[in-house]
Amino acid sequence: MLRPQRPILTVSMAPHVHCGRTIKGHMGETIIALMPAMVMAAMVFGMDAVRVMALSCAVAVTTEALCNRLAGRDPAVDDLHALLTGLLFACLLPASAPWWLVTVGSASSIGLGKAIFGGLGATPLCPPLVGWAVCRISWPKAMDTNTTMLGTTLPDPLQQLKFFGTDAVASLDPMALFTGHQLGGLGAVHIAALLAGGVFLLIRRHIAWEVPVAFIAGLLCTAWIYQLLDPAAHAAPLLHLLTGSAVFGAFFLATDPASSPIGRIPSLIYGLMAGVMVIIIRVYSIYPDGVPFAILLANLFTPLLDRIRPRPFGGPYTLTQEKEDQATCVKHCG
Amino acid sequence: MTDFSFSLLTGETGPLVKGARPDRLRVPLQGHRPVLAEGDQVLAGTLIAEAGDDRGDMHAPLAGTIRAVDRFAMLIETTDDGRAEPQAAPSEGGDILRRWLRSMGIDVRPLRRAPVLIVNAVPPEPGISIHDPLLRDYRKTVDLGLDTARRVIDHSRLFLVAARGNRANAFADCTVVHVPPVYPNGLDPLVVRAVTGGETLPGRHPDNAVILSVRDLYFIGRVMETGRPVTQTVMTIAGQNRLVHVGTPAGFLVAEAGGGVEDGDHVILGGLMRGIPALNIDQGVDKDTTGLHILSKTRAFVPVDGPCLGCGECERRCPARIMPGMISRCAEFKQFARTETFHIHSCIECGICGYWCKARRPLLQYIRLAKYELALLRSAIVPADTPANDQGRSRPADTRPEKNDA
Ligand code: SF4
Ligand code: SF4
Repeated sequence: MLRPQRPILTVSMAPHVHCGRTIKGHMGETIIALMPAMVMAAMVFGMDAVRVMALSCAVAVTTEALCNRLAGRDPAVDDLHALLTGLLFACLLPASAPWWLVTVGSASSIGLGKAIFGGLGATPLCPPLVGWAVCRISWPKAMDTNTTMLGTTLPDPLQQLKFFGTDAVASLDPMALFTGHQLGGLGAVHIAALLAGGVFLLIRRHIAWEVPVAFIAGLLCTAWIYQLLDPAAHAAPLLHLLTGSAVFGAFFLATDPASSPIGRIPSLIYGLMAGVMVIIIRVYSIYPDGVPFAILLANLFTPLLDRIRPRPFGGPYTLTQEKEDQATCVKHCG
Repeated sequence: MTDFSFSLLTGETGPLVKGARPDRLRVPLQGHRPVLAEGDQVLAGTLIAEAGDDRGDMHAPLAGTIRAVDRFAMLIETTDDGRAEPQAAPSEGGDILRRWLRSMGIDVRPLRRAPVLIVNAVPPEPGISIHDPLLRDYRKTVDLGLDTARRVIDHSRLFLVAARGNRANAFADCTVVHVPPVYPNGLDPLVVRAVTGGETLPGRHPDNAVILSVRDLYFIGRVMETGRPVTQTVMTIAGQNRLVHVGTPAGFLVAEAGGGVEDGDHVILGGLMRGIPALNIDQGVDKDTTGLHILSKTRAFVPVDGPCLGCGECERRCPARIMPGMISRCAEFKQFARTETFHIHSCIECGICGYWCKARRPLLQYIRLAKYELALLRSAIVPADTPANDQGRSRPADTRPEKNDA
């Protein structure tokens, strides 16, 4: 019986076929979806933007490799998640960001956002946003586009709205905003390009429609309610959508697989919460753009929302513990 | 692997082909107790192993000599013809008939008294068309099987469930229910739901209904017709349906179909979504094997031990509305009791989650492992034949306090 069998078969469990998708493919295609925005960033902000993106990606990948080593894991750099995280983080930075800011932020995205929670899939918060929050809270000046990009003629609508009121933004042309003529995160302001990328992700089914749709709906409705309450003090819903990182957040940050809920109803609630929160933060807080904080807050609700489940097939059931008594003995041993 | 389709349409199927006689049979034993030993001579139809439950006894498919017996199989070297005497069926129905069928090798677990009988004619998996030739060319036998089943089940209503677009001729006084021709609609729990509207926990019998497949009816009919036990199965091999002796080695079937197996290939007994991998090409087919597939190293899916991304793709596709990703995470870290909070018992083991998982995790394998470990955990007695290290491994988990389950 022990003589080797020929041919030697491979034995693996069902299913024996697969749709062919991989994590690397998912990350790769998300990077492809970011391409238009990256090209636009390079065109509008020039080499500055390229510098920030390249540095951020390099730091993210290096940090990931280091963390893998420290944790004694197999290197997971080739799944492209670190590269994507670096890129997403760079998109949130102003093109003028100094090298140390990019380095610290990108390293904390991977280190604090991903590695300490156990790596890919275990992140309770969207990793690039963790890096962003670290930088935004620690070095608000350096993250501020208004103070660091003095040499440009581009408007920064959210800063103007915050500090000069609705009149200051009334003259902005939505079309110009749509094509990215504004200041903000170097990749996050190219609304048209991001929208194209988002549609690509939707068509390739890398993200589900629930989160972006609910996010945008929540944002528009809340902005509309505020405008109804006081048209003089609050900007139009469309302006809120076309500024800051709203579209970027809806398609690329809020949809992060690990930190967003799964299931239709939880996803819708999550998207709505994030969208509503964006406007509330924009209206009441000291931060002009509420998107990153709104998404981080919504991320915190994910475990709760994940508890909203449909009834399982055939109803919930638990196997009862068998008692160790005479009857069981007879049943088992005859 | 991407040319796989979930469609259950079978199109035109040819006639049922009778397989040739292999010179060795490896008859699988599933908890059967062998009644004959090495060296014994058997005739075709001689009882060789008794079933421990209602699964049905095992009989020698062909005459020959028993060469080896182990826990999982019995090796028979076939000689020339020789058949055991046919037996007369009892004239009574009910339990007497049921016991007789059991002794003739029929799996009588589903046969109970119930007001409704559901006949499942939907292909169980894509690429398996075993029901078609039986319904078309062996109508008489299937009808006889149906009459026999009625004597046990005593049903008042009869339903035939077929995939929309597949040919299925109704029986007398039966209601035909069509389901969309997409996998997993042919699996029993979903077929029962299509008829009764109620959901039954997978692995349980529905409350007021009995479900039998066309193949089950055919074999019951065969037993009644010939008075000989069932020792065959119907399999779809390369699009052709074959009547194959139980225990025929996979390698023999491959050669018969004109194929070849190389090192590293996967040989799958059953369909591609749920089938069992053969350990070697000598492995014999079982009574419930429905197909045979050979996948080359490059075409087959081999799962990897990667982390779950949390993308929810598996959950979106799961027909049981549970979270395979979370169950697999629990099972991965041996938190078997916790899998119940994610409703592991609702899983119908369709394999769809594993098909879609981007992280290529062995989801169904984790689920089956967790179900098995749970059964051990909740049972008062560890089965005597569990290897010693197995007990040590599964036992401590139940004493670990469950923190995270509210
Ligand atoms: S095998 Fe997977 S997809 Fe199918 S019912 Fe079970 S958990 Fe759901
Ligand atoms: S499809 Fe795979 S990676 Fe995605 S949630 Fe399910 S198990 Fe996790």
